[in-house]
Amino acid sequence: MEDNRSNTPSISPAAIVVAAVFIVVSAIGINWFTSFVPVVLPAQASAESKSVDELFYILVIIGGVVFFLIQGMLLISVIFFRARGDDRSDGPTYHGNPLLELVWTIIPSLVVVFLAVVSFNVWSQNSEPKAAVNMINGEEIAIKVTGARYAWTHTYETGQLDPDGDPIVINSGDALHTYIGQNVDLELRTQDVIHSYWVPAMRVKQDLLPGNPATGGRPTEIRFTPIRVDGAEYPATYPIVCAELCGDGHGRMRGTVVVYEDEQQFLEQFYDPAIHAILNPPADPVLRGEIIIQEYVCHSCHVLDSLGWTSRTGPSLNGIADRAGERVPGQSAEEYIVTSVWDAAAFVVPGYTEQMAQFGPDQPDTYQMDAEQLYSIVAYLCTQGEQSDCDLENSTTAIPEAIQTVFGLEVDITFGQGDDEATDAEV
Amino acid sequence: MATIAVPLGGQAEGHQADAVQRPALSEYLRWSVDHKIIGVQYGVASFLFFIIGGAMAMLIRLELWTPELDVMVSGAAYNSLFTMHGTVMIFLFIIPMWAAFGNFVVPLQLGAKDMAFPWLNAFAFWLIPPAAIVVLLGYFVTPAEAGWTSYPPLSTLFSGDGQTLWALGAHLLGISSIMGSINFIVTIFNMRPPQMTLWRMPLLCWAVLATSIIAVMATPFLAGALTLLLLDRVAGTTFFDAAGGGDVLLWQNIFWFYSHPAVYIMVLPGMGVLSEVLSVHSRKPVFGYRMVGLSSMGIAFVGFTVWAHHMFTSLQPELRIPFMITTMIIAVPTGIKMFSWLGTIWGGKIRFTSAMLFALGFMSMFVIGGITGVMLAALPFDIHVHDTYFVVSHFHFVLFGGSVFAIYAALYHWFPKITGRMMNERLGRIHFAFTYFGFLFTFFPMHIVGMLGMPRRVAVYDEAFANWNQLISFSAFVLGFSTFIVIYNIIRSYYRGPVAGANPWRALTLEWATTSPPPVTNFADDPIPFEDPYGYGTEASVAYLNAVEAAFDGRENRTILD
Amino acid sequence: MMTSYVDRQEKPKIGLDRDAALRLKNNRLGMTIFQASWIMVFFAIIVVNWQLRFSYVQWPPAGVAPFDLLLPSIATLALLLSALLARRGWAGLRRGRLGEFLASWRLAIFLGVGFMAIIVYEFATVSEAALATQYGITLRLMTGFHFVHALAILAVMLHVYRGAGAGAYRGGEHDAWAIEGAAKLWYFVAVAWILFYVVLYWIR
Repeated sequence: MEDNRSNTPSISPAAIVVAAVFIVVSAIGINWFTSFVPVVLPAQASAESKSVDELFYILVIIGGVVFFLIQGMLLISVIFFRARGDDRSDGPTYHGNPLLELVWTIIPSLVVVFLAVVSFNVWSQNSEPKAAVNMINGEEIAIKVTGARYAWTHTYETGQLDPDGDPIVINSGDALHTYIGQNVDLELRTQDVIHSYWVPAMRVKQDLLPGNPATGGRPTEIRFTPIRVDGAEYPATYPIVCAELCGDGHGRMRGTVVVYEDEQQFLEQFYDPAIHAILNPPADPVLRGEIIIQEYVCHSCHVLDSLGWTSRTGPSLNGIADRAGERVPGQSAEEYIVTSVWDAAAFVVPGYTEQMAQFGPDQPDTYQMDAEQLYSIVAYLCTQGEQSDCDLENSTTAIPEAIQTVFGLEVDITFGQGDDEATDAEV
Repeated sequence: MATIAVPLGGQAEGHQADAVQRPALSEYLRWSVDHKIIGVQYGVASFLFFIIGGAMAMLIRLELWTPELDVMVSGAAYNSLFTMHGTVMIFLFIIPMWAAFGNFVVPLQLGAKDMAFPWLNAFAFWLIPPAAIVVLLGYFVTPAEAGWTSYPPLSTLFSGDGQTLWALGAHLLGISSIMGSINFIVTIFNMRPPQMTLWRMPLLCWAVLATSIIAVMATPFLAGALTLLLLDRVAGTTFFDAAGGGDVLLWQNIFWFYSHPAVYIMVLPGMGVLSEVLSVHSRKPVFGYRMVGLSSMGIAFVGFTVWAHHMFTSLQPELRIPFMITTMIIAVPTGIKMFSWLGTIWGGKIRFTSAMLFALGFMSMFVIGGITGVMLAALPFDIHVHDTYFVVSHFHFVLFGGSVFAIYAALYHWFPKITGRMMNERLGRIHFAFTYFGFLFTFFPMHIVGMLGMPRRVAVYDEAFANWNQLISFSAFVLGFSTFIVIYNIIRSYYRGPVAGANPWRALTLEWATTSPPPVTNFADDPIPFEDPYGYGTEASVAYLNAVEAAFDGRENRTILD
Repeated sequence: MMTSYVDRQEKPKIGLDRDAALRLKNNRLGMTIFQASWIMVFFAIIVVNWQLRFSYVQWPPAGVAPFDLLLPSIATLALLLSALLARRGWAGLRRGRLGEFLASWRLAIFLGVGFMAIIVYEFATVSEAALATQYGITLRLMTGFHFVHALAILAVMLHVYRGAGAGAYRGGEHDAWAIEGAAKLWYFVAVAWILFYVVLYWIR
């Protein structure tokens, strides 16, 4: 064996020429490929995305060198070292070269060390907690995200109190509103399975983990700072995606990040109007219901054209008032809708499975719904149809009666704008 | 030259018969303790599961042709579809397929009459059909829909009975895998001929040894995890239910402690196959034999320390960095193998047989999986592409571009030994072209949609990715079509292929120093291996190969009896 | 180079032909690997116990009384003694003393049954308070999981014991594999239990 060590395979000059050409071509190739970075990654909408993309750039260059090196050597081998014609002889008995083996152990090791250091730097830079998070009007507030099958719910704990002394909490449904330069720091909680909160444009992702409610749950955190994207029109929107399989509607579990140009635009277009709406709810239960129903996760499973809902996991809500009267014998339309919201399992529409969440006064977080909210939602749903089965003329009595019949709860319908007494009674 | 004495062991005499008897096909349908029969049983069964899993992949791609839900009735139906695709491909195709080649080839390469525990070997195989029935039956009750990774609480509190059957089936398959691996380790350590030291052992045996060590040490963790999952599902325990003091990350830790090493269970034997095929078909010794063998062990060892990179988005942030480092380290032994293979073919006399084409295809594709593997190890970038199509692409480059290409290479390489007949090389080349390009255009674009924002495991997706997905689906159908070519080739060659003779590739390892297919006892007496399993190009090797050919009377006079 | 062709075939062991010697060697290595492999399940379950502790502020959780040490310790001693007796019996049989084997194994099996009885008692009498937490649930998991193994392997021991009583083993090295195997499996039960015992009862 040893005497064959010196029997090195000879390399023809042509191979060297090809190798040289190949190196030039691959250099051009890598350069060409990296010019595609903006095409293969979404807009850089956060401070974090800049450094992540720089890391990506480094990875692509090193990966490209390895790629072209190996494919090139393969190509050279298959072109120059093929057995020609009827050559049945064997190749040289060449068992290895310790020096070469050492080289291709050490160089990749050094590359790995380099990449580890670079990645670590980017990571520690991005994961460092920031001072002054979620600043609105000069104060830090808590912004919480709840994942429930199959929708995101964002809530802003404003720290302000309504005239009754209750805290004002803005529920912006599946949209996160923020502005350029705000250090966003979200507290993530799930109500059922594991979800993963991913904003591709921000290059951030974090799983939501089920925790024990008795010990305060298991909140996780996600942080990013939106930055200006050249050429974007503000407010700009970016998708939020659920990245961890959560069941039937996983693919539809999406949301939107709305980035405003500055804090002032944020306050004018989102924050102040939202607080105003909470302080001055419409007196009409139908209008109120239209707002409230959008704060719940209903849209993640149902179709409803008037609100632009498209998901088909559950039965369609289009024209529900037309069908409600005939669904269950002996139940009025109001009673049927009331039952279906709080106790969906009581009647499962043929062709669907029983998987809707339980809503009610005792349910957790985003499933929590008191009788007054139920009243408003039913009032709104009763208008969804051409010839509603509901008694629209007398909805202020028919719906409370239905709630009384089905769940045995009194509904005080005299709440609304500025009616302090009623709200007190409710508390 | 003629003066070089070539001791072959006892097989030279008494093998001058004109015909080779193949086992009757009915032999394969019943209990047999012959490792060659068991090997074929594993192989055919796994290939059937490959077709089933592949058909599921075609359905998945059909569903993804448009951004809306149209083929499947619901998102849940789609979820159970890819759950079964993953489960079938991993537990019922790739892992048993390597048991097929390991069973057939390893005892022959060692010059042994059979495996160390023939009965256990058969038992391990016969666990697979009932396990497969249990898993597949689950698809027809309320199917498992939590992905092959089955993360609780989706797999415990929110899934039907199919999930229980899934766990039971996976349990049986794990036990089968452990028994098979114990058998391989004992066979490799105890059944070698005295002349064959560990450092003269063929590299496939090294790879199977490393694989088996991983399997025996890691699979029990799967057994533990599945036991807990079953208890949570049927006995009301709360190991994974946070409300009962459980922890959802517990499953992820234990599951990935098995399932990451399982990736190496699926890839290392393929790397062993590659060392064999590249050396034989380029007529050159394996470059850096020791380092190739040792790097298998290195990968096996480091493979145990990286599991939590699957949990980069759920693990506590401060624990993530150590796993990033260990994961990157894996690139080094993998790189050693890659460069050693390049060194093997460099300067050789390459024969473009179908086996060689697939081996070269492995190198060309696996390198992409290796590069994206390092990219995924880089924590900040992984955070962006975790659980996206980038990951789907990465592991298909490893498990299809790696394992499946190697399985095809092994098929074309050892088919003559298994059946006594050659496969059709022309069809093999056509098969390669379809597979290579179909594969490349199916999976490469997935990197891009993943980076752009398409998560994995979704039936509906953003319309912006529609064009990419149509390209991917179209290529996937081409890839699916390529399978029919190889099925036709296998069946046609089994009956009508040219007679192979003992050693059609003029290879030095021991499995070629007996008839094709080998007799029941493999060798008439203890064979004597050539001093160097890859010592091509020396006078001694030529003399040895000529002696083997002479001993088995050339290939012209042979006939195959069914 | 020709040195590699020198026949280095081992001399067959006295009293055993080559195939039987190889079988014994295979069996022994196979048993070792099986033990190394299957003990990993027990390690996996220890990891489970360990990780679940972190869901609680203290261990045992607040309001749950720690398990009593006395009975499990007696059980552990009984199992250890049983394993030693199993070894003694096997060694006796190798020297051809069937009587010594039968006497030792009778006692070993008896102690094994005693061990299992205590474990069943422990399993059955976990307090309600403990069962409301992972403290009690993991105890049931670990004792139950171990019990299944102990039961199966005790059945093997009993089978071998009865076979030996009926004269199936003539003693000596060559056909004592069934006994050696059963004894080694029983050690496995003992080692696995000691791991569990320490984790369950001692590490708080």
